[in-house]
Amino acid sequence: MISAVSISKVFRLYKSPADRLREIVFRGCRHTMFTALQSVSFTVRQGETLGVIGQNGAGKSTLLKILTGVLLPNGGEIRIDGRITGLLELGTGFNFEMNGLDNIVMNGMLLGMSRRELADKKAEIIDFAELGEFIDEPIKTYSSGMVMRLAFSIAIHADPKCFVVDEALSVGDAYFQQKCMLKIRNFRDNGGSIIFVSHDLNAVKILCDRAILLDHGRVVIEGVPEDVVNKYNYVISRIRKQDASTRSAPQGGNSYGSLEAEIVSVALVGDKSGSNTVSSGETVAINVDIKAYKDIANVTVGILIRDVFGQDIFGTNTFHHELSVDMKKDTPYRCRFTMPLNIGPGKYTITSGIHSHDTHIHHCYHWVDHAESFEVAGIYGQFYTGICRLSPEIVIKSVDKVSDVSDPF
Amino acid sequence: MKISLLMELARRDFTEKYSGSALGALWSLLWPMVNIFIYTIVFGKIMSSRLEGVSIPYGYSVYLIAGIVPWTAFANTVSRSATVFTDRKNIISKVKIALPFFPLFIVISESVTFVFTMLLFFCILLVTGNPITGKIFYLPLIYLAQQLFAYALGFFIAIFQVFIRDLKEVTNITLQVWFWFTPIVYVYNILPDFAEKFVRYNPAYLFVKAYHDIFVFDAVPSPRHLIVLTALGFSILFGAHLLFKKLERDVRDFL
Repeated sequence: MISAVSISKVFRLYKSPADRLREIVFRGCRHTMFTALQSVSFTVRQGETLGVIGQNGAGKSTLLKILTGVLLPNGGEIRIDGRITGLLELGTGFNFEMNGLDNIVMNGMLLGMSRRELADKKAEIIDFAELGEFIDEPIKTYSSGMVMRLAFSIAIHADPKCFVVDEALSVGDAYFQQKCMLKIRNFRDNGGSIIFVSHDLNAVKILCDRAILLDHGRVVIEGVPEDVVNKYNYVISRIRKQDASTRSAPQGGNSYGSLEAEIVSVALVGDKSGSNTVSSGETVAINVDIKAYKDIANVTVGILIRDVFGQDIFGTNTFHHELSVDMKKDTPYRCRFTMPLNIGPGKYTITSGIHSHDTHIHHCYHWVDHAESFEVAGIYGQFYTGICRLSPEIVIKSVDKVSDVSDPF
Repeated sequence: MKISLLMELARRDFTEKYSGSALGALWSLLWPMVNIFIYTIVFGKIMSSRLEGVSIPYGYSVYLIAGIVPWTAFANTVSRSATVFTDRKNIISKVKIALPFFPLFIVISESVTFVFTMLLFFCILLVTGNPITGKIFYLPLIYLAQQLFAYALGFFIAIFQVFIRDLKEVTNITLQVWFWFTPIVYVYNILPDFAEKFVRYNPAYLFVKAYHDIFVFDAVPSPRHLIVLTALGFSILFGAHLLFKKLERDVRDFL
């Protein structure tokens, strides 16, 4: 079990390191304070996985460094009855001129393994890393994936009480990542504790038993991953709103058109999350706010959802729903598209257009690419893989007679 | 903490520098070897330098080597310890290791070189017809006192070096000046009076003199000198320890 009891860390920022000494000698104040962590407490029990999420700069890395003992906290204490290892950075203390075997010894010892342990586990480590003959080659000849494999293999075989999983794991290829995850699950099932630090909210929901959300060095919420992720979305959207206020035009890319009417803003809100990070299957509302600068009849409003590769995932407009709006000069209108968002986890953008007739080719008033972005993290209801949910009905029956085979139902 | 890790770090210290080269760690032993041969041949044979009042064969060479070998161990320990935290930043900022370890592995690796060079020196003594007396049993004592002093000094500077990077150069220059202020190349007697008094307060003189006593003058090293040196070593170490207690957090933050 690991427990952190009100850990605080304050960095004093100096213009030059020598100022720290001047301060001691002359008793002046030559620094500005930066509070990285503020009474952070949590426990991770045996066999438990704790997720740590937070934006960049929320204090995740500092927390990890304090956990591993690389940095000393200003207050509070860490209680660990054993080793804590992880991939904090690839190949800690690896010497790229030396071969894999020598590096296993050095790295293992740095992690606190004894010669005896190393001798026992060497074969296992090499075997798991799947380096084969490369083990006798200098590490500089390795690919980054191979270095990662070696580093992971040493770290997990060092018999830690707690294993820290972070983004470094994503260097490996899909096959090895899965192998790692399997190993990590085994480790957990055997009573190991895991601290999982990631931006992948989906993974946090799937893998963790509990999670904490760090924001500006504080634990904002601790609880089941679902709640914590939702809170995280809220924190992010708060920042987005600040961003939005400083920008008059809708965010993002290309925008063009005759501008007789204009798209003022496009926003997606999930009914459960209340933000633009939603779960697959959640009902969402996409609000398109528009305004015309003269009276226009029969305006069509459309939206188009694209994935990160720019592929069109889904698009529709009011014309296809036999709707249109007659816009009055200077009156704001809002067009709302409400739907269950049955698309797979990932990041998406919304493009929106207002035009006449069925497509913007006829007469385009305004078209905005990437007017809004959102993320689908996690899945409501039955699990599925892929880019969309097709909601199959499934029946299983035993097939008795040969004549049934063609259509037993 | 763990001896095995310390030994591994020291071993690495030897092999890493020359990894990829055919002779590997042998290179670090070749250097002192070449130096010793140069001193013996050039000063003993070609220049036939003599020491006043010393009648042993190759007198000046023996004098020179007896002083230079321990000095090299001392100076290398200090100068390499001084920068060890910044040099090993990549390890210190990733893994939890007690920081006082780092100057310690340098002491060990320098000791290996020292022992090897000393053995070589013994061979030279035998070949040139110098007797090796029982007084060499004082060697470990002198060496321990000397390296305690070197470790303490190196550790002390190393802490400051994290904050003031210039200390690396300052240390090297100081060591260079210090070398010439210590009777290693020249003899104590040739110094003018005022300098003689000055040299007596030189801690390096305390141990260099002891080596000279053993190898050149066939005398028992002064116990007073060794006690002073050890006391000095311990007091600096104590100071370094206090400093470290106060600054460890900052040292780690800055790395």
